[in-house]
Amino acid sequence: MNVFEQVRGIASDLLGIPADQINAASSPENIEAWDSVQHLNLVLALEEKFGLQLSPEEMEQIRNVGDAARLVESKAQESPR
Amino acid sequence: MPIVIRPYREEHQPAVREFNRRLRSAGAEADLVFFEFAKPHWLPPADGSKLFQEYFVALENGMVRGGYALKRQNFSFADGITRNVGYYHHPLSEGIVNKSYSAVGGMLLKDAMGRAPLLYCLGMAGYDRPLPQMLVRLGWSHFPVPFYFNVVRPRRFFAEMQALRRTASRRWLLDLLSLTGTGWAGIKAIQGLRKLRAGKLAPFAVERVEDFSEWVDPLWEQAKNHYAMTAVRDSQALRQLYPATDRHFTRLRVRRNGQDVGWAVAGERRTDEKYGAMRVGSLLDCWASPDDALPVVQAASAALIENGVDLIVSNQSHGLWGRALHQAGFLSSRSNFIFAAGKSLSALLQPIEETQFKLHFTRADGDGLPRNF
Repeated sequence: MNVFEQVRGIASDLLGIPADQINAASSPENIEAWDSVQHLNLVLALEEKFGLQLSPEEMEQIRNVGDAARLVESKAQESPR
Repeated sequence: MPIVIRPYREEHQPAVREFNRRLRSAGAEADLVFFEFAKPHWLPPADGSKLFQEYFVALENGMVRGGYALKRQNFSFADGITRNVGYYHHPLSEGIVNKSYSAVGGMLLKDAMGRAPLLYCLGMAGYDRPLPQMLVRLGWSHFPVPFYFNVVRPRRFFAEMQALRRTASRRWLLDLLSLTGTGWAGIKAIQGLRKLRAGKLAPFAVERVEDFSEWVDPLWEQAKNHYAMTAVRDSQALRQLYPATDRHFTRLRVRRNGQDVGWAVAGERRTDEKYGAMRVGSLLDCWASPDDALPVVQAASAALIENGVDLIVSNQSHGLWGRALHQAGFLSSRSNFIFAAGKSLSALLQPIEETQFKLHFTRADGDGLPRNF
């Protein structure tokens, strides 16, 4: 499973939406359940799943699921486990 | 321009004032203002101290979009280890008046979690407020810290207790209880019965002291392992929290057979509309082995009654301190004083359903001192 699929799975579990209804452009703009608290929950879940530390500034840069996957990939390359 | 969170410096003060002005002009509640001075008045950072406060602000191109305060304090835990813990308070985001900034609240908390992985919140004025609702949704462990009260002057209590007088029928009933003396008789009967059940207490001596000096340190060492989590209450910490120059507080030293058994800090709360014109005293902090809680509670109650208060209130998380309050005639009521622990802190307190009664949290923890006194 690639990073995007894993991130999509986390978002699916968190937001209560089937994974096949989530794509890279899925965002707070088009998913009603994705509010500021769920945004923080998503960031914390990504940190736990991928063993990363994301700053508040990086948290703000995540505008959609695609951004989240790209950020995780770039952070993983910065500090390979 | 991205939003960044930085320590609050003097150069940000004009932007904070402008932030507060925007909130006010957009109709935010009057008490929702951020600190206008970068250096905390209460517990400013000091060389070598583990007990201090810092403020942080969310900045966007020089504009302040939010801020929060972080109090750092050493706590002793059941495993005997002392850890530095963060208390997150006064978070304020422009998101409350402008939805474009709705993410700022989460960013502030994320920033605090990064700076203090062991993080807690306390108070928060009830579960209907935004912060506790957010923490519950984030999966924090939480519980209300029990609230206790002792009615010293029932007639004043029934006439002035605004929280009980919200409807015309309640006001009529409370006035009747007050004027006929029925309320006085009822309250005194309950309190008397509780004291009677407590049995006879060994004699103890109480001394009002000006300062917490080294005599408190053996008490701290002897009792700390009785608590699953408690803020360090040694002489160094107590002198910071209750400096001798601060006359708001009554400091009590309690002894039995010439030996120290505990101490208490009592004080009169600032005027609060929910208590009407009553003078409200608080047993705001205390320390002893939990088995010796009763003489400390009785000493603090007697001192506050002597000071002339109409009502005494206290919040105590520990079950045995709660029992001592009941034995001293206190009643309990619904509490809006909430303790919430972030996941890393919560992991040290499991199972929280049992541990919550072994924690030592009082009104003096969190920011209860500057908020209420």
